[in-house]
Amino acid sequence: MTHTEKRILTNKIVMTLSTLSAMVGMTFLFWILGILVINGIDALNWTIFSEAGAPPGYEESGLKHALIGQLMIVGVATFAGVPLGILAGTYLSEYVQQSKLAETIRDISDIMMSAPSIVIGAFVYAIVVAPMGHFSGWAGSVALTIIMLPIILRTTDDMLQLVPSTLREAAFALGAPKYKVIMQVVYRGAKVGILTGVLLGVARVAGETAPLLFTSFNDNFLNTDMNQPMASLTVTMFNYATSPYEDWQKLGWAAAFILSMFILGLNIIARVFLMKKKGK
Amino acid sequence: MATITQILEEKALEVKNFEFTYAGADAPSIKKLDMPIAKNSITALIGPSGCGKTTLLRSFNRIHDLYPGNKYEGEILFKDRNILTPKEDLINLRIKIGMIFQKPTAFPMSIYDNVAYGMRLQGIKNKTELEGRVEKALTDAAIWKEVKDRLKHDANGLSGGQQQRLCIARAIAVEPEVLLFDEPTSALDPISTAGIEELVVELKEKVSIIIVTHNMQQAARVSDYTGFMYLGELIELGRTEEMFVTPREKLTEEYITGKFG
Repeated sequence: MTHTEKRILTNKIVMTLSTLSAMVGMTFLFWILGILVINGIDALNWTIFSEAGAPPGYEESGLKHALIGQLMIVGVATFAGVPLGILAGTYLSEYVQQSKLAETIRDISDIMMSAPSIVIGAFVYAIVVAPMGHFSGWAGSVALTIIMLPIILRTTDDMLQLVPSTLREAAFALGAPKYKVIMQVVYRGAKVGILTGVLLGVARVAGETAPLLFTSFNDNFLNTDMNQPMASLTVTMFNYATSPYEDWQKLGWAAAFILSMFILGLNIIARVFLMKKKGK
Repeated sequence: MATITQILEEKALEVKNFEFTYAGADAPSIKKLDMPIAKNSITALIGPSGCGKTTLLRSFNRIHDLYPGNKYEGEILFKDRNILTPKEDLINLRIKIGMIFQKPTAFPMSIYDNVAYGMRLQGIKNKTELEGRVEKALTDAAIWKEVKDRLKHDANGLSGGQQQRLCIARAIAVEPEVLLFDEPTSALDPISTAGIEELVVELKEKVSIIIVTHNMQQAARVSDYTGFMYLGELIELGRTEEMFVTPREKLTEEYITGKFG
C-alpha cells in the first residue's frame, strides 16, 4: 500500500467513525423528541391548561397548578437572578477587570456552574426551608436564583469584555462619567450577548427538578402563595410519571412535552440572537 | 537636549519636564520631556514604534487614568494650569481636549445620537439646539451630505472613512479647544485618508491639533510643526517645512530619510 493510499484509507475510516458517532447522538435526540411529541400531543387537551391537579380517576384534571407554580418560581428567580448576575458581571468586567479578586470570583462562579443542582437544593433547604419550618415557593426561587446567577454573571462578564476598550476610551474622551460609559455605550454594544446569556440561564433553571424537591416541594392543587409549598412542572412530572395511575402518567407526558417545548423555544431564540450578532 | 524651534504663535499646551511611567514598568516611557504646542496649528508627532508619541498624546487628556497604576510627573500646562494634578476635573478636561482614535469608534447607536452624545452629556436637552449643533458638526466634518437622510440609522452601517468623520463630528460638536488625533487614518483607504487630512487642515482655524502619525508624508502634508520622538525623548521640534528639508539633529535626518524606523 502506498503512502497516499494509506492516507486515503485512514481518512475514510475516521470519517466513517465520526459520522457514525454523530448519527448515534442524533438518533437518541430525535428518539427522545419523537416519543415526547407522540405521547405529549396525545395527552394534550384544553383541560390541562384550565384545570388544576385532581386525584386519580377524575375527568377534570390538569396541570394549571404546576404551570402557574412553575411560572411563579422561575419568574421570581429570573427577577432576582438577572439583575444580580448582570450587575456582578459588570463589576467583574468594568471595575475589577483582571485583578486577583476578579479571577477568584470567576473561578468560584465556574465551579458553581458545575455544582450538582441537588447540592444547591440541599443548601437552600438548610438556610431557608429549615429556619422557616416548611417548604415554600420562595425557597424554590432562591435555589433557582443561585443556579442561574453564575451563568448570567459569566456571560455578562464575557460579553462586556468583548466590547472593544477603544469604545470605552472614546466615550471617556468625550467627558462621560464611568457609569454613563457603561450604561450608554458598553451595555449597548453587548446587549445581544447579555440577552442570550439571560435566556440560556432561564432555560437552564426551568428544567431543574432536584433543587425544587428540597425547597418548593410540591402541591397537587392550585396555590399562588409563595410562602407555601408550590407545584412545579418538573416535580409534578416526576410524581405523575412515577405514579401507577394511567391518567396521571398521561399528565406527566403532557408536562414533559410542555416543559421541553418551553426550553427548546428559549434555546432557539437565544441561538437566533447569537446568529444575528455573528452575522453583523 | 532637544532642539526646539521657538513657537511664534500663542501656546495651546506646554509640556514641562514631563515623565510618564506605565503601571508596573521600571523605567519611564517618556523622559524629561519639554515641548510647546502652538495654538490653532497642527503639530505632528513622528517617530518609530514605541518611541512614546502615543503615550504623550494620551497624557494630554489623561486617558491613561482609566488604567490603574500609571504615573505622571512634571507638568502639562493648559491655559496656565497644570492638568496633571490629582484634583484636575477630568470630565471638564476631556470636554476641552477631545480625541480621535486609530480605529473609528462609532458608538452602537444612531448617527444622530453619536454626534449628540457629548452635548447630551453636558446636559443639553433642547431639541432645536441639539439638531442645529448636530448638523453644524456634521457639516464641519464634511459628512453632512452623505448622512443627512439617514440620521436615525445605525452608525455602524457607515464605511470606515465615514465613521472616522462621524467621530470627528462627535468630537467637534462639544467645541473643544484642542483635538488629539491618534493615527486617525491608519485603518483607512487612501481616498478616505485624503478626506480626513483635508478636514484636519480646515479644523485648525477653530482648534489646536496634535496628530500622531506613522506616515511621514502625512506629517509633511498637514502639519505646521513636527516633533520627532525617539526612545521616550523629544529629539527635535521644528516648523514642518524646515524640519523635513533641513533637520538639525542627525537622528531626525536618519529617521526621515528612512535609515531606521
